Amino acid sequence: MSAETVEAPGNVLINPVIKNLTALAARAWAKRWMITFTAPTGIGKTTAVDYAARILPFDHRVIQCKQITTRYTLLRDLGLAPGEKWTNHGRNWMRASDLYDRAVERIRERPYLLMVDEADRLSMDCFEIVRDFWDDARLPMLLVGNEVLTEKLNRQHERLFRRIRVRFDQRPLREADQRKVLEFMGYQMTDEEFALLWKLVGGSPGFAEALLENANEIAASKGVKRGIEALEGAVRYFPTCRKVV
Amino acid sequence: MREIVRRTICAPSELTAELLRRGMFQPEEKAELLRSDAERSRESLSRRLRPIQFVALLARGDAQLATRAVLRDVVRGPELHWLDRFLRFQKQNSKRDELIRTVERAMEGRKGNVRRNS
Repeated sequence: MSAETVEAPGNVLINPVIKNLTALAARAWAKRWMITFTAPTGIGKTTAVDYAARILPFDHRVIQCKQITTRYTLLRDLGLAPGEKWTNHGRNWMRASDLYDRAVERIRERPYLLMVDEADRLSMDCFEIVRDFWDDARLPMLLVGNEVLTEKLNRQHERLFRRIRVRFDQRPLREADQRKVLEFMGYQMTDEEFALLWKLVGGSPGFAEALLENANEIAASKGVKRGIEALEGAVRYFPTCRKVV
Repeated sequence: MREIVRRTICAPSELTAELLRRGMFQPEEKAELLRSDAERSRESLSRRLRPIQFVALLARGDAQLATRAVLRDVVRGPELHWLDRFLRFQKQNSKRDELIRTVERAMEGRKGNVRRNS
């Protein structure tokens, strides 16, 4: 969490994904809204969340969801002070409901923006807790995830879905932006290589990075520099993009 | 035939060889594997997989075999992070979700049952 303005980190290229996500975070905080930000995997959402976490000039918290995140993980993250442990036995044991009440009280005293990265991985009961935090404490939120997030909210969480004020769907990067990002990440490519990459993965730097790293290893194992053959060889590891070649 | 041996035989030959080389199997499993798949294993043992190639093959293949590989400590350190990333590019299903949970727990240094009901 940060309360003061932090200087923009130098190791991030400000692309449209980062610009949009940061603007939406500021909007969610200013209007006390719940907003969703969805984009396909590999576009750079997590990088944008990391960047926003470092530069936002108001109180905020980030939860990085995993497949193993449960409602207890959420309660622990929001209800406990840094370094505090959840005592679930002995004289001072805390129930989950105690922790929830404590988190609500803290949010009312000193509100913050909650950014949930990979929110598409949240389970049903976690979404319910998120809704409870909104209902009880008006906690402004930015839920970030891939297209599964919209689908999950649409199908299974209508009550939460209705509380969302803005649903932003980020498009993949444009060709020029994609090339800039990859070069910024340190990948030098010929026009031919980039054209193949663009055909395979479009504006997804994460997916392109996976392919390029694989191609680098294929080339290294043959003792040559990465070329178009290595890139084509790397495609066999990713069945979802193989049909293009 | 043991299930793990059957699954390994069905995997790409270079992955089978790499798993053998990394010592994933118990002596009886190894003997059974070499007996039933001798020719192919011998042929592919000469080809080594680099770390990212190895995890990319694990990610796109049999999720249960990959889970076993993670639980048996065959995938370590940065390879786990790459595996986690590659799995996100694959289509989701329950077996793959379980593999992702196993990988996440391994990255936190934990092991064991990772089933989730909800």
